[in-house]
Amino acid sequence: MRNLAGVVAAIGGSVWLTRSALADGWNMPLGVTDVSRDIHGLHMTIFWICVVIGIVVFGVMFYSLFRYRRSRGAKSAHFHENTTVEVIWTAIPLLILIGMALPATATLKEMYDAEDADLDVMVTGQQWRWHYEYLGEDVSFISNMSTPRDQIDGAAAKGENYLLEVDQPLVLPVDRKVRFLLTSDDVVHSWWVPELAVKQDAIPGFVNENWVRIEEPGTYRGQCTELCGRDHGFMPVVVEAVSPEEFDTWLAERKEAAAREASGVDREWGMDELMTRGQKVYESVCASCHQVDGSGNPPVFPALANNPTLMEERDRHISTVINGVSGAPMPAFNSTLSPVEIAAVVTYERNAWGNETGDIVQPSEIQSQLE
Amino acid sequence: MWQVIKSVLAAFFGVQKEQQRKKDFEEGRPMTFIIVGLLMALVLVVGIFLLATTAAE
Repeated sequence: MRNLAGVVAAIGGSVWLTRSALADGWNMPLGVTDVSRDIHGLHMTIFWICVVIGIVVFGVMFYSLFRYRRSRGAKSAHFHENTTVEVIWTAIPLLILIGMALPATATLKEMYDAEDADLDVMVTGQQWRWHYEYLGEDVSFISNMSTPRDQIDGAAAKGENYLLEVDQPLVLPVDRKVRFLLTSDDVVHSWWVPELAVKQDAIPGFVNENWVRIEEPGTYRGQCTELCGRDHGFMPVVVEAVSPEEFDTWLAERKEAAAREASGVDREWGMDELMTRGQKVYESVCASCHQVDGSGNPPVFPALANNPTLMEERDRHISTVINGVSGAPMPAFNSTLSPVEIAAVVTYERNAWGNETGDIVQPSEIQSQLE
Repeated sequence: MWQVIKSVLAAFFGVQKEQQRKKDFEEGRPMTFIIVGLLMALVLVVGIFLLATTAAE
């Protein structure tokens, strides 16, 4: 009787421990979409099935070890096969598996039903940042990690959202069905936001689908979850979910900005404005490999400062930024940067850090090369 | 014939009576088991396919 009380106390204790661990954020989040709650429910159902199986199996095992030990005079039985028992221990797992497969299949079906979306967002992975494009809206931007280098190097105290903060979050409306189309420019990445229950590979040459209907406004953070090279840990995802009205206002503003950007192609730009703009683009897009001071990281990422080839060959410099370098980590920026941004960044690179070529590259020139 | 089908089903399930196994080896011909086994594997595949298609609708 005392043994039984001990066993009950031990089981009760572990269940209590498990429950508190789950409540303390050790578990996967409940999330903010229908699908995420379904996935969480599945996870918990299967978890408790495993707990029960574990208790039964180990209970019977330890009971038998204890009850039929040799010192109590137990004699081992010698027999070969018992069809009834074999049928039972085959049939029970079969039924348990079917019992788990039914709700799991229902959830999968829901997850893959990306039809009738209100908004399509193209998500493109790039070493090491995400590029978002609101399809049919002429709005697209790059989202870079914004955690300062000092925090990473340990020279400054780490912020609250260390490695989980970006310069431009992906803004999405709540209560609307948003479809993601995921792909990659270079290697396999994976776009993961736990609260949205989306974890989808971004594969070069493929387009994967996923969707969400977010129910609560808020900021949801995630990471790249497919090892993609040196800065794999430095390309976080931040989703800002806002009300549909706020989203429409935001999108209209972005569209206007995109239109202004496009009109910038037609006019002559001055050196100073190109340099200012170019420095911003450089620091957001190029500096992660070529370093803020242009010193690069040879031999993979060449230095741009005091680089004689770069200074002499203006056309090659432009085409490298536009088309990338095949076989090297340098990506093509023709689809992710605007003509103004490319012109500005090339001008900046040709005139910063002691590269005094005096060259000005006009956005109109880039535009004609892109066509 | 029914005996062969039962033995193939037992093989799919993974459990067979020792007595039945002996009988199969003494009386049956290998070819019958192979042909019935292949046919039933086909039936299984088609069955799962139909089930999955229905479930996906």
